[in-house]
Amino acid sequence: MAFTPKTAPFSGKINAVTLGTGDKAIVIGGQNVMPFYTFDAPIENAPKIGIEISDLAANWDAPALKEFYAGCTTMVDYAKRAETMPGADFLCLHFESADPNGANRSVADCVADAKAVADAVTMPIVIMGCKNIEKDGELFSKIAEALQGKNILVLSARNEDYKTVGASVALAYGQKVGAETADDINLAKQLNIMLKGLSINPENIVMNIGTAAVGYGFEYVASTLDRVRLAALAQSDADLQMPIMSPVSPDAWSVKESTATEEDEPAWGSREERAIDMEVSTAAANLTGGADAVIMRHPAAIATIKKFITELV
Amino acid sequence: MKVTFQIEGASPVIIECNAGENLLELARRANVAIDAPCSGNGSCGKCRIKLIEGELESPQSRHISDEEYKEGWRLSCSSKVRSDCTVFVPDIASAYQSRMKTADLSSPKEVAIFDECQENLKRSGIHFVNRFRSKVITMAEPSLEDTMPDNERLTWAIEDAFGVENVHIPFSVMVGLAHTLRENHFTVCVKGELTENTFHCMEVCAPEDTAIVGCAIDIGTTTVTMVLTDLETGKLLAKGSSGNGQIRYGADVINRIIEQGKPGGRKKLQDAILKETLIPIIANLCKTAKISARSILRLSVGANTTMNHLFVGVDASSVRMEPYVPSFFHWDGLLAGDLKLPANPLAPVLIAPNIGSYVGGDITAGTLASGIWDKDEMSLFIDLGTNGEIVFGNRDFLMSCACSAGPAFEGGDISCGMRATDGAVEACVIDADTMEPTLSIIGDEGQKVVGICGSGIIDLISELYRCGIINAKGLFVREGKRVKRDAHGMGRYVVAFPEESETEREVSLNEVDIDNFIRAKGAIFSAIDTLLKSVDMSVEMIDRVYVAGGIGSGINMKNAVNIGMFPDVEIEKFHYIGNSSLTGSYAMVMSDEANAKCAEVASNMTYLELSTHPGYMDAFVAACFLPHTDRSLFPHSVQER
Repeated sequence: MAFTPKTAPFSGKINAVTLGTGDKAIVIGGQNVMPFYTFDAPIENAPKIGIEISDLAANWDAPALKEFYAGCTTMVDYAKRAETMPGADFLCLHFESADPNGANRSVADCVADAKAVADAVTMPIVIMGCKNIEKDGELFSKIAEALQGKNILVLSARNEDYKTVGASVALAYGQKVGAETADDINLAKQLNIMLKGLSINPENIVMNIGTAAVGYGFEYVASTLDRVRLAALAQSDADLQMPIMSPVSPDAWSVKESTATEEDEPAWGSREERAIDMEVSTAAANLTGGADAVIMRHPAAIATIKKFITELV
Repeated sequence: MKVTFQIEGASPVIIECNAGENLLELARRANVAIDAPCSGNGSCGKCRIKLIEGELESPQSRHISDEEYKEGWRLSCSSKVRSDCTVFVPDIASAYQSRMKTADLSSPKEVAIFDECQENLKRSGIHFVNRFRSKVITMAEPSLEDTMPDNERLTWAIEDAFGVENVHIPFSVMVGLAHTLRENHFTVCVKGELTENTFHCMEVCAPEDTAIVGCAIDIGTTTVTMVLTDLETGKLLAKGSSGNGQIRYGADVINRIIEQGKPGGRKKLQDAILKETLIPIIANLCKTAKISARSILRLSVGANTTMNHLFVGVDASSVRMEPYVPSFFHWDGLLAGDLKLPANPLAPVLIAPNIGSYVGGDITAGTLASGIWDKDEMSLFIDLGTNGEIVFGNRDFLMSCACSAGPAFEGGDISCGMRATDGAVEACVIDADTMEPTLSIIGDEGQKVVGICGSGIIDLISELYRCGIINAKGLFVREGKRVKRDAHGMGRYVVAFPEESETEREVSLNEVDIDNFIRAKGAIFSAIDTLLKSVDMSVEMIDRVYVAGGIGSGINMKNAVNIGMFPDVEIEKFHYIGNSSLTGSYAMVMSDEANAKCAEVASNMTYLELSTHPGYMDAFVAACFLPHTDRSLFPHSVQER
């Protein structure tokens, strides 16, 4: 008698969230099984990869990365080039320079960039801020307003600013909002409840449950991912069924393995290779832990992860 | 240099000092009571005084507005003396000392709860008998024909009277014997302890003075309560309470331990509890009961580990340092004379045994009083205080743990918080439509609001949440006349506008207060949750919940469940058992069997150290939400709009 494997899909299901509009729109989430458990039930929406485009991208000095973006000067140039990258599903505009403790670029300039990119590309857009609560609040609200109708995702609303960010981004301008917490399932759930309390539709929420590069406390990320996913699927906890997006590249590219020069660490080999390895390992760990989308930077790393996803789903 | 403290409603106190001395320290030295729950960190803002004359070097803190600063209001803890000066000490600051409202058996309701606990103990088979006896004996007066010495004469008489073969006459009796016998013409009352074949004489006195008295003491971190009882009949002879004199060295045990670790600190802290607190109360109670202090033949103390260490004068430093091993759990070698307590110097002082650094004798005494050790049903015992202690189990097993709730339940850490004294809001209902509060205030009729005490805060938060004025994180989400915001956008709910309050300052509850309180309630619930999970049990298995502690008396259990502080079990399962530490201490002093039982209960109790428990932090974060991150744990919690 032929062997028939028992399948075990869960009763709980991750919300399917659509980002972007038109042909290039993507859907993340929607599955009722653990990551890549295609033997339990088909995974309709394979995990997606976003390309990070920073307004400080001119400082990126990894040779192959530089070469890929050769000739790009404006954010629009970068975005258009990124759209051509194999494996790219969406674009992530990272407004690092808005930081008042850094370049302190004006909100108006950032909004103008975002608008120009949105007009020039067709892929869905995700917005990342500068981590300064006050500046981000204003920035997110203005970008959400300027890009109305584009169905963008804004990362992220935090415990400190969920009310302003949630209300402007999701309620006033109908965009998707990210809920960012730091490696704690309870805090993640609490923030989702608070956002729902603002009468934001859960289908408009995506989670960022915390990030770290592998080797830098990733155990916390791993266990949180695992617990969040199990609560969503096994316990059908509606407050945790939002899809998860993990911004991988900002962490992976800022740790010592990626930043130490070859002169300082001759034994470690090529700096770019190291950074790619960090990015690949971190992204793979996030995806196997439960992330429905990762944000990445390097074409080589993205190609590897794309292959990883394609072969597993 | 001189500082004059003008105390509201009392005569001024003048103290000499040097330039640059700290005003709060000076006040302590001069025995001027200023409430300083944070022990002078400048964080609580409770130690306000008003500068009338002279110069103080004192920065303005966030607790004092520009206008108040101009009027001369300062925080005494951050003020240094710069010249001769006169400061005004408002009565609110010292109110804690005299008018502390605790479960001290001052109301008939509390006495009824006390009596019921004792009855339950008796039903559990504890006999309320002890071995202390007094008897009037008459001896033949000595003569030239009868030249037996006094001690032999007394020994013969006692052997005869009690039917024993041995009599033990200690120095304290011997030394005054000749005089007492002759003054009373050889008819005297002897008091002492009767063991199998021996009478241990403790006191020989005039034949009219036949009282043998026990003294049961509850030493809380914040308050001390005490009763004198007739050791023969069990009748309560006198009762009293007061603030713990150590309060000025910090509101919680950690601050006290730090303070006692400083040079001379141990003596300072012991003096504060003995000389300033216990000795005056005992002396007072003796007067009330019309007994001589030497008639007190046994004392018992229910106190947390830190308090009983400081009471005895033992270094408590190890209580707060890893591996958290105190100097004693169970120790019965103490006599009243060792501490110069106003009692018979030979009177044993029973200390209810500790079972851990943070689960002390108050809990073992309380567990004894609750009777949960004799029941088949699963009981949860919660003692709410500066520390929250939890005991769970039945006749077969008992588990215990302690969590740090902080001073929030006693009004500390809350901007308008206060202990449950006159002027404290103790209960509150809010109209969901108008957002107007209906308050119940401690004190005589017409008393205006001074602040909010623990039970009032529970009601307020529960009502604010029910009415949808705050969300589950404790942030304000409705606007109205009583919801105000400061320059940083921080919301607050005005309980009393300046014109409605006693002090003409606004009384309100702000988002930081609510957050502090949510942490306190989160600590309690997560401790309960972790303790239950450690024995693989769930909330549904709880048959009864006993709530003890001074602030417990006013708690509205429904509201406490509504905000997720207590587990969501039927309200009928909750029982308030008053000051269980005092009740247990009373049983110990009265009954030899209760004393033995208390030691047995303590040795059978398993202590769970939460600070090293891996799941506790997680449970704590989950509980810091209204009512809880896992709402299914609180099906009866309501938010109406």
